[in-house]
Amino acid sequence: MTNRVRLAPLAALLVAFGCSKPPAPAQPAPAPAPAAAPSAAAPDSAARAAARRDSLAAVARADSLERTARERARADSVRAQVQRAQVDSAAAAARSGLSAADSAVLAEAVHFDYDKADLAAADLPRLDRKLAIFQAHPRLEIQIAGNCDERGSDEYNLALGERRAAAAKRYLVAHGVAAGRIDVVSYGKERPLDSGHGEEAWARNRRDDFVVTRGVN
Amino acid sequence: MSRAALWAVAVLALPGGLAAQDTTAPAGVRVGITYTPGTRPSIAVLVAAGAALDSVRAILGRDLDYSDRFEVVAPPAAAAALGADGSPNYRALNALGTDFAVSVVPSAPADPRARGAIDVLLHDVRSGAVKNRLTLHLADASAEALRRAVHRAADEVVEWATGAKGIASSVIYYVADGKVWRVDPDGAGRELIPTAGRPSLSPARSPDGRTLAYTAFVRSGQPIVLQDLASGRRDIVPGTEYGMNITPEFSPDGRRLAFAHGNENGTDIYLYDVAGHTTTRLTVGRYYDNLSPAWSPDGQRIAFISTRPGLPQLYVMQADGTGQEALARFDFGSTGMTYAPEWSPDGQAVVFHREVAGTPQVFVVDLATRAVKQITGEGRNEDATWAPDGRHVCFVSSRGGTRLLWIVDLETGRMRQLLSTVGARLPAWSPGHASLEAG
Repeated sequence: MTNRVRLAPLAALLVAFGCSKPPAPAQPAPAPAPAAAPSAAAPDSAARAAARRDSLAAVARADSLERTARERARADSVRAQVQRAQVDSAAAAARSGLSAADSAVLAEAVHFDYDKADLAAADLPRLDRKLAIFQAHPRLEIQIAGNCDERGSDEYNLALGERRAAAAKRYLVAHGVAAGRIDVVSYGKERPLDSGHGEEAWARNRRDDFVVTRGVN
Repeated sequence: MSRAALWAVAVLALPGGLAAQDTTAPAGVRVGITYTPGTRPSIAVLVAAGAALDSVRAILGRDLDYSDRFEVVAPPAAAAALGADGSPNYRALNALGTDFAVSVVPSAPADPRARGAIDVLLHDVRSGAVKNRLTLHLADASAEALRRAVHRAADEVVEWATGAKGIASSVIYYVADGKVWRVDPDGAGRELIPTAGRPSLSPARSPDGRTLAYTAFVRSGQPIVLQDLASGRRDIVPGTEYGMNITPEFSPDGRRLAFAHGNENGTDIYLYDVAGHTTTRLTVGRYYDNLSPAWSPDGQRIAFISTRPGLPQLYVMQADGTGQEALARFDFGSTGMTYAPEWSPDGQAVVFHREVAGTPQVFVVDLATRAVKQITGEGRNEDATWAPDGRHVCFVSSRGGTRLLWIVDLETGRMRQLLSTVGARLPAWSPGHASLEAG
C-alpha cells in the first residue's frame, strides 16, 4: 500500500489555506419521524381502509409539493454554489500568491465522458496552460479532485473519481511536473456542482477540480 | 447466547414505559405491492383487558406481521377476550381458523414483587395448549428498552412457532445526510451514531456487534475508521490514513476486514488482520478497479466488483485472492453495470444491483445454478442488504418519487417502506445483539 507520509504537512496546509473546503450540498431536511406502521392487530374496517386511502393521497400530495420545492431549491443551490466557488477560489488565489489570471487557469476543470476516466483531447490545452504555471512557481503544489455524476453506485463512483484525478495527474507528471507536487483525491458523487438529473448536470459533474494546496511564496 | 441470559438482560421495569408507546400508526407508511400472502399460519395477539398492554400488542403484532411468516389476524372481541386465568378462548379462535395465539398478561397481578413483569405465551390453538412462554421484566423500563425487549419476544415467538429466526431484534445501519444512523427493522428506534468525517459512508458492523467500520471523509483522505459502538473510541485501519479507502466488510469470524484501497494506479481489495494489524493485498488491478468485497458466511470466499471486463461486473475469489472468476453471467455490450454485492446469510445466493436500461435494479444470483433473478422493477433500486433471516432484503428505492429505504420479503414479494427519511442510503442489516442492544 502506498504510504504517502509527506502528505501530513500538506494536510496541515490544506487546513491553513481552507481552500479545499467543499460547498455544502443543499440537502432537503430529512423528515425526522421514523415510519411506524399500522398495527396489524387492528380491525380492518371500512373506516380504516378509507383512512388509509386518505393518508396515501396525503402522502402523494406532500411528495409532489416536496418535489417542486426541491426543484426550486436545486436551482437556488446551483447558483449559490457557483457563487461560493468563485468567492472561495478568489480567496484561495489571494492566499496562494498567484496572480488572479494564473489562479483562474489553474482552477480550470477538465471533464469526462460517462463512466470514463480518459482525458478529452479538447481539455488538454487546459492542462498544458497549467504546466507553465508549475514551471514558473516551483513551490506550487495542488490537489486534483475527481468527481462523478449521480449514475452508478456511491461506492463505485469513488473508484471512478480516483481514476479521473489520476488521469490528469499522469498527464501533468508526463509533461514534467514532479509527482510529489500533485495529490489526488476522489469525491465520487458526493460533491456535485449541479444537483440536477439530466445530461447537462451530469456533464458538469463529471470533472476534475484543481485546488492549490501550497502557495508560491 | 442462552435464552436465560437473553431474558436476564431484559430485567427492567413496566408501567411508565408502556404508557409512552404509541399504538396508532402514522399515516400512509405501508404501501403494499404485489403482496401474495400464500398459505401462512394465522396468529392472533391477545392482551389482558385493562392492563395497559396495548403498546406491547402493537409492537408484537407489527413484528410478527413484518416477519412475513404469519397472517396476523384480529379476532372479534368475543374470541379475543382472555379468561379470568389469562387463557385464550381456544374454541372460538379454532372456529375462526386461527392457528396460533400469543397472549400478553401481567405475570402475577396480586404479587407486588412481580410488578412490571409480563408473560408472553404462545398457544397452539388447535390442540388448545401453551407451546412456550417467557417473562419480560419491564418495571421502570424506558420506552426504548421496552421496545427492544418486545422485539426479542417477537423473535422468540417466531422461532417457537416456525423454527426460523426472526428479525425484529436486528438492526439496520445506514447513511443519511452524510451521517451514520441505526434503526430497528420496524422503522422505530432511529438513532444517530456520531462518526468522524463528513460524509461517513458504507457502515459495516462487526459480527460481535461491538465495532462499526466505515469510510470517513476527512481532510487528509478517506480512511477506514473502526469505531467502538459502546465507547465511541475510533481507530484508523493502518495503511488507510491516506488515499481512498472504501467498502469495508468484516469477515464472518470478525478477525479480518476486507476493504478497497485506491491510489493513482487504481483501486484494489486488501485484507486487514484485526488482531495482527497486518494488511495483505488480494487483487492487483493496475488497469482496472476491484472493490465492494462481500464475504461468504463460511469466510472462504469473497464476492466483489471488478471493472476488468470494461465495466463493473460481479466476480468471486477465494479469501486468499486466488481463483478469481465471474460470478453472475454477463454479456459484453448488453449487460448493465453491476454493483454492491452482499452474500446471503445461508450462503446460497448473492444480492447485487445492476443497471437495466440505465436504471439500477436489485438482482439475486443463485450460487448453485448461477441463475440471476431480478427482484425489483419500479423506480431506481440499489444497495441491497440481507436481513439475518435470509428472506428479507433492505434496499434504496426511488419508487414513490423520493429515495427511501424499503424492505422486500423475497418469499412473498411484499414490499414496505422502512423510513420516511429522504436520501437514506447504503443500508447494512446486522443481526441483533441482546447484550449490546438492551436498554
